[in-house]
Amino acid sequence: MKVSSSFRRITTISKKELVEFARDWRTIFALLIIPLLMFPLLFIIFPLLLASEAAELDAIKVRVVVQSNDFPVGLAEELNGSSIDIIYEPLTLENNLSFPSGEEERLRNASIDAVLRMKENGSVWDYALLYMSTSERSQEARTRTLTVLFEWEENETERRLVDAGLEPDETLHPLNWDGPISNSDVATSGEQAGMVLSLFIPLVLSVWTFSSAIQPSIDMTAGERERGTLEALLGLPCSRNELLFGKWLAVATITGIGVLLQLIGLLFAIGYLATSDFLTIPTLSMVSIVFIGIAVLLFAIMVVAFELALAMRAHSVKEAGSILGPALLLILFPALFTQVINLDGIETFWFSIPVVNVLLALRELLMDRFVIEHIITWILSSGIYAIAAALYAARQFKREDIVTSLS
Amino acid sequence: MSAELLRVEHVTKSFGHIEALNDVSLSINEGEIVGLVGSNGAGKTTLLRLLAGVYKPSSGAVVLSDGSKVEDARHRLGVVPESTGLYSRLTAWENIRYHSRLYGISDKEAWARTLFFARRLDMEESLSRHTKGFSRGMRQKTALLRALAHAPDILLLDEPTAGLDVTSARTVRSLVHQLGDTGGTVVYSTHQLAEAEAVCSRIIIIHNGEVRADGTPASLLEQTSTANLEEAYVSLTTDKARTRTTSEKPLSKIAGWWQKLSTPKTPGGDESE
Repeated sequence: MKVSSSFRRITTISKKELVEFARDWRTIFALLIIPLLMFPLLFIIFPLLLASEAAELDAIKVRVVVQSNDFPVGLAEELNGSSIDIIYEPLTLENNLSFPSGEEERLRNASIDAVLRMKENGSVWDYALLYMSTSERSQEARTRTLTVLFEWEENETERRLVDAGLEPDETLHPLNWDGPISNSDVATSGEQAGMVLSLFIPLVLSVWTFSSAIQPSIDMTAGERERGTLEALLGLPCSRNELLFGKWLAVATITGIGVLLQLIGLLFAIGYLATSDFLTIPTLSMVSIVFIGIAVLLFAIMVVAFELALAMRAHSVKEAGSILGPALLLILFPALFTQVINLDGIETFWFSIPVVNVLLALRELLMDRFVIEHIITWILSSGIYAIAAALYAARQFKREDIVTSLS
Repeated sequence: MSAELLRVEHVTKSFGHIEALNDVSLSINEGEIVGLVGSNGAGKTTLLRLLAGVYKPSSGAVVLSDGSKVEDARHRLGVVPESTGLYSRLTAWENIRYHSRLYGISDKEAWARTLFFARRLDMEESLSRHTKGFSRGMRQKTALLRALAHAPDILLLDEPTAGLDVTSARTVRSLVHQLGDTGGTVVYSTHQLAEAEAVCSRIIIIHNGEVRADGTPASLLEQTSTANLEEAYVSLTTDKARTRTTSEKPLSKIAGWWQKLSTPKTPGGDESE
C-alpha cells in the first residue's frame, strides 16, 4: 500500500513535469524536433554542399609558374589542357628546387597559385612543386599539376619500356589481383556498417544524452528554486527521494525520446539518403539490441541523476547552466578517446572506467561482438556508477538550503 | 479552552554559524488565528518552514497533538509560501490538482472544495486559465485555494498580503476571517502590525530569532504598558539585542583572498590598508 502510494506520487510529479515540458514549444523544438531532423538534413545538405564546392573548384582556372630552361614540349601541352594558365620563367636555381627562394610572397598574395620547377638531369628529370597548403586555390593547382605530371611520367615510362623491347603492363604489374576485390571480404555489408557506425553512434548517443538532459534538469531543480515553486513542493507530504525519482523519470523520459528520435533520424538518413556503399543499416542480433538498450539505460540513469544533483546544488538557473555546460566535457573527452581505442585484444579494465565503459560496450555491441567478461564488467561498473550518482543526487535533494536560507 | 494542535518545543535552528531561531517554544491551538509578527530577517519564515516540516530543527522539536513529528504529518498542513510557488505553464486548477494529488486527495473532492472557496475569492472563472498572466493578487488567491483543497487542520500563510493591492489584500484577510469563524486554525506571518491586529486573535512577536511576546493584542498592550501595538512592538524589540552569529569559523587563506578580491571597494572608503 505504502509502495503503491509512493509510486503514485512519483508518477504524479513526473506527469506534471512532462505536461509543463510539452507546453513549451521552444523546448520541444530544441529537444525533440531538432534531433529528429538533424541527421536527415545533414545527409541532404552536406553532399549538396560538397558537390557545389567541388563544382566551384573545377570551374577555377589556376595560375602555375613553370620555371625551367628545358621544359618538355609534350608536358606543356598536357598542362595547357587542364585549366591551368602557365607562365614560363627561366630557372635560376641549380640545386634544392624545393626551397622557395623568394617565391613565398607571390604564393602568399595569391598572384600565382603554384610554381613548378623542372630541370633535366641525365636521363631523369628533377622537379619540385611549390604551393601554399592553406590556400584552396593553391591546393587545387598542385593537384592538377601533379595529376598531369604523373600521367606524363607514366607515358614516358611506357615509352622507355617499349623502346627497350619490354611489355609495359607485365613489367610494371607482375602481381595481379584476380576477381573483384570487394568479394574477398567475408564481413557482410551490415557488419561493415556496424563497424563504421560504432565509431560515431556511441559518441552521438553519449553527447546527446548528456546535452539533452541539461535543460530539463536545470528547469526542474534550479529553475524551481529560482521561481519559488520548490518551497511549496517541499511542504507536501512526499519524500525528497520521491521528488528526485519523479523528476528523474521526467528528465529520463524527455532525454530517452530525444535520443530515440535522433537514432530514428540517423537510421532513416543512412537507409534512404546515404549515397555511400559502406554506410548502410547495420545488422544486429536481438541480443545486441537488448544489451544496447541496457547500456543506454544505465548510462542515462547515471547521467540524469548526476545532472539533477549538480543543478540542484546551484542557486539559480544561470549558475546551474555555468556548471552543467562545461560538465559536457566530462562526456566529450572520454567519448572522443574511446573512438581511437582498438577493440581487438582490449584489456577488460577499460570496461570499468566511467563513461568509457558504456561507450566501449556500445562499440562492441554495434559490431555484434560478445565478450562475456567485458559484458559483466561494464554492467556491474555501470550499475555501481548509476547507484552512486543516484545516491549523490538524493543527498543534494535532502539539503535544507535548496529552499533558501535565513528569512 | 480549545485543544492544542501543534507544539514547538525549545526549537533552535542554525544555518552554518548563523543562528536563525533560538530556543523558541510556543503552541498553536485549534480555531486560533495566530499572527507571527517581526521585521524582515526576524526569523518568521524560518519558523513557518519549521512548522511546515520543510526544515528540521537543529535542536528541540515541532510536534502535533497526537505526538507525531510535523515532517511526518504534512498532510495535515496547508502552506502558502511568500513566493506562492505556482507553475506558470499550468492552469490554476492544474496547480491545485497537482498538490491535491500529492496530498492523496481525489480530484473530485479537491474540485468541490476548490469551487467552494473560489466562489468566495471570486476566482471561479479563472480556474481554467494559465497562471502565467495572473496578477500578484490572483496568484495569492490561487495559492490559498491550493493550500485549502485538502482540508488541512492548520493553514500556514507567509506574508499573504505582501505586494497585493488594497482590494486583493482585503479579500485574503476576509477569507482568513471566515476560516477563523468556522473553526479553522491559521498561522499568519506578517511584518505589518495593523494587519496582525485586524486579522489575528493572538500575536507572537519574533525578533532576532527569539519569541519576545505571545498573547492577544490586549494582553501585549497590558504587558508593555503602552497605548498601541506599534509602541508595544518597539518596546519589545529594542532591548536585549542578541547577536545571531555563533562561533564563526575563520576564513581559510584562499577563501579570505577570494572574499577580498570579490568585494567591491566602497567609494571614499579607507584604502590605506
